[in-house]
Amino acid sequence: MTTLAVVVTVVAALLAVVGVLSTVAGRRTGQLHLAAAALLEVALLVQAVVAVVGLVGGHRPEETAAFLGYLVGIVLVPVAGVLWARSEPTRWAGTVLVVAAVVVAVMDWRLVQLWNATGG
Amino acid sequence: MAEQPSDTAAGPGRVLVGLYGLFAVAAGARAAVQLATDFSAAPVAYLLSAFAAVVYLVATIGLVRGGPGGRRTALIACSVELLGVLVVGTLSLTDRAAFPDATVWSVYGKGYGFVPLVLPVLGLLWLRHQSELAAAEDDEPA
Repeated sequence: MTTLAVVVTVVAALLAVVGVLSTVAGRRTGQLHLAAAALLEVALLVQAVVAVVGLVGGHRPEETAAFLGYLVGIVLVPVAGVLWARSEPTRWAGTVLVVAAVVVAVMDWRLVQLWNATGG
Repeated sequence: MAEQPSDTAAGPGRVLVGLYGLFAVAAGARAAVQLATDFSAAPVAYLLSAFAAVVYLVATIGLVRGGPGGRRTALIACSVELLGVLVVGTLSLTDRAAFPDATVWSVYGKGYGFVPLVLPVLGLLWLRHQSELAAAEDDEPA
């Protein structure tokens, strides 16, 4: 789970960087942003599958409801970010993706924290 | 380059709407879990979380709708939000017993990277900017 979170964080950082660059350059988002967001989504889906397999296999986080909430919520964030940025014709579309990337990174480490707290 | 959208949900406003929407969902989900599972532990804190969620939701709606009505709605919501984060932030430091469990606004939103403290300020600045643009348009009809 922690290894996956590192991967997710790196990809999220990549998305944040291309988002910042397009905002600073005054350009709207393009294929590169879409590719970075897609890569992030793939990493999150892999993580979700691993988590579900773990849950089915008997791993029980103490706060299961919160864990599931984060697990479902986090895969929606890049999708929501891309949809919300797509129709923005200015430099600010990149910043929307930066927000989405930071949210994913923060949520992911909270997810790991919840995963590891099994209440003994 | 045309970088002066007059709509409150365009340009930088789009980022703000995203953040407000996010906090509406985050605070709402947190309040829902807390109220459903553990209401008696800290009713004041949990009800405050729910209240914060409503304020974020109203601000989001105001910003998305735009126009004089939407701006007024968002202005009220952002003002309540700023007041809320300042009052709750201060109380959570001075009277810890009243806040045994954290809310979005505890310690000025420390648990959320102080975004709850910065967000209403950005919102109010953005709304003032938009109101000025709207007023300028009224003065010189195109």
